[in-house]
Amino acid sequence: MLIAMILALLIPMYEAWQDEDIWQKMLAFASIATKTSVMILVISVLRDDWMIGVVGVIILSVGNAGLMLLAQTIKRINE
Amino acid sequence: MVDILGYLCIGVGIVFWFWGTFPLLGKRSVLFKLHSLSVADTLGSMSIICGLLLKIPSEWSLLVLALISLAIWNTVLGYVLAYCSSSGGRDER
Repeated sequence: MLIAMILALLIPMYEAWQDEDIWQKMLAFASIATKTSVMILVISVLRDDWMIGVVGVIILSVGNAGLMLLAQTIKRINE
Repeated sequence: MVDILGYLCIGVGIVFWFWGTFPLLGKRSVLFKLHSLSVADTLGSMSIICGLLLKIPSEWSLLVLALISLAIWNTVLGYVLAYCSSSGGRDER
């Protein structure tokens, strides 16, 4: 199960690596952030360790907010 | 029974993940990729977290917080990315 999740994580990583367009990269990064935090939650359930789960939820909320701010900054720079 | 249902939810979520992520590899426009990503990826993540919630219901507060932040943040992030990327004027590819 975890191996399938890691395979699904490799696709946006490859996309972020090979694509030059900044918005495609941002899209891949958003996908990576969501997938990683959900994987952290799954691992925290498997290990029954809720400190890791708290970290996953924090990444899920703060990481997405950070990506939004980054998108606005890139838009301003491109103008 | 509930355990099997939880694993079923997680499996469906992983299928949705692959479904939403494979269009990233093509040569389509950003908005097309954003649509498939924001629909299938968010639904897959929410399905996985629902599966975890069925497996361990005692930690519902943390998992419900994760569900809510997924539902709200991914929608808002989708709108913001679409707004920011649509100013270039070369989206119709």
